[in-house]
Amino acid sequence: MKKLLTLASLLVLASLVLAACGTPATEAPAATEAPAATEAPAATEAPAATEAPVMEKDMLAAVLERGYILVSTDPNYEPQSFLNTEGTRPADTKCPSDALTNAEIQGFDVDAATAIGDALGVETCFATPSWDLITAGSWSDKWDVSVGSMTINTSRQQVLDFSVPYYYTPAVIAVAADSGFDTIESLAGQALCAGVSTTYEAWLNNDMEALGLPDSSIYAAVPEGITVVPLETDQECAQSIASGRKDFVGYVTSETVVDANLAAGLPVKKLEGAVYSEDLAAAFDKSSTLDTASLLAKVDEVFTAMHADGTLSELSNKWFGMDITQAPN
Amino acid sequence: MSFFSKTQNAPKSQAELLYDIQVRKERRFRANVGLSWLILVFILVMAFSGQEVTIGSKTFSGIQIDTEFMRKNLTFIAGGLGETIRISLMSIALAMILALLAALGRLSTVPPIYALSTFYVSLIRGTPLYLQIFFFFLALPQLGIILSGLWAGVLALGLNYGAYMSEIFRAGLSSVGKGQREAAMAIGMTPAQTMRRVILPQALRFAIPPVGNEFIAMTKDSALVSATGFVHELMWRSTKVGRAQFHNLEALIMAAMFYWVMTLLLTYIQSIIETRLARGDR
Repeated sequence: MKKLLTLASLLVLASLVLAACGTPATEAPAATEAPAATEAPAATEAPAATEAPVMEKDMLAAVLERGYILVSTDPNYEPQSFLNTEGTRPADTKCPSDALTNAEIQGFDVDAATAIGDALGVETCFATPSWDLITAGSWSDKWDVSVGSMTINTSRQQVLDFSVPYYYTPAVIAVAADSGFDTIESLAGQALCAGVSTTYEAWLNNDMEALGLPDSSIYAAVPEGITVVPLETDQECAQSIASGRKDFVGYVTSETVVDANLAAGLPVKKLEGAVYSEDLAAAFDKSSTLDTASLLAKVDEVFTAMHADGTLSELSNKWFGMDITQAPN
Repeated sequence: MSFFSKTQNAPKSQAELLYDIQVRKERRFRANVGLSWLILVFILVMAFSGQEVTIGSKTFSGIQIDTEFMRKNLTFIAGGLGETIRISLMSIALAMILALLAALGRLSTVPPIYALSTFYVSLIRGTPLYLQIFFFFLALPQLGIILSGLWAGVLALGLNYGAYMSEIFRAGLSSVGKGQREAAMAIGMTPAQTMRRVILPQALRFAIPPVGNEFIAMTKDSALVSATGFVHELMWRSTKVGRAQFHNLEALIMAAMFYWVMTLLLTYIQSIIETRLARGDR
């Protein structure tokens, strides 16, 4: 009997030890903050001194103090943001254990985010919350900023603050290659797919309030009498068609995603003409307990400089094979 | 030499013959089960080989999968195994403690304790695990408790399994005969001593094998923890590489294989523990 009790308590103990081992790892960022504090005076001098002495702590100062900026991005999309499965995590990284380092993730968004970190002189780390958690706001300070190809729209503006756009994406409709549809109007009465909580879904639902785009950037009317099929991400829409399912004839997503689908050899085709264009920007949580204004201004400054000196165009050419950083008229 | 030939030639008794038949029967049964398993595995592999099989006039074509993608991402997806096991171990530890407390509460005669225990079990069993994981991730920050994705997941899994496992522990506790308690009281043990020295050791032996089963189930439910996006375990890794590279199916098949192999191993370990514990039966 005693043996049994020992066995059981050993099991529990072993698990607790394992759990305890896990704790320092997750608390590591807090621990690294302490040594960083010695560098803090030098680093925070410039921004903190010019800011009014508000009660809230300044996010820019906090980022400089801890030595890394935590950027959220959704690694479901190539070439915007996707995992680098061959990358190894550097041993001396300051990133929290549940965040990815620059070596483990790659893409256009990742490079744009890294440019912000470089401009601040800090390491850039990537948190990977699911997309609907990012767009919902109320991040509870779990990450600082989203650089994840997020479209500026009015409903998101209620919970998030946006930087200047860093690139623009036309939204298009792709249909199954063998479906025989050639124009947007011909899709009347059909079922179309979009990722859930995306602007594509809002457009399909003809919910212009949720889409929240200015009329000038909307180019086409929603086909009449369509059925909307929301799936977890746009990629499921494409894969569903590729696997031969017939739940819908096409899907709405960004032109870049459709191009990537085509490049991967998926049996789809792109319908001529954009339905609307999206302005994509970095986003901050309005409910953050830190004051985000100074970091937002810094991000605006970095993006504006990158637009001006052609760095963004270069990155765009590198990842998309074309320049999509120029504002559509 | 002479000894050997003697035993070989000696006619077997009726009982020995019957026993031999029994052994042979069992051996044949096992061999047939093994063969059937091989055939089933073969069919499964063929189904995913993408090859065309013609049986009579009908042609079946298998599911096409990209083995190159699977080879390239094998190590990356396998890297999530450790995280999956770590979450499961931490959660099962929490679940065991909660289950034991809830089971003791269920046997309590103090109304608030009994109520607390039944309330917990009812609330947790009445809501989906997926929802609970998001609840701890999203709601607790409003109370000033900010849990990382990992801890929100472990808390949800532990609470959830604790509620289900409380039934196992309760059954274990009530399996100990009334006479045991009376005997312990008779030799002057306090109720706490009775519980610690007499009831619990016997109850635990009854409860440990089902806990193993729950643990095996938990390794698979731990996949839900990846939903918040912060826990980079098996499921998270396979869905992310699958989606980004348009190979959801391949990535999920790989995750399935890892989960299956892990389950086979754990089931084996579980059976060893079970035979060990059965040895104590008198």
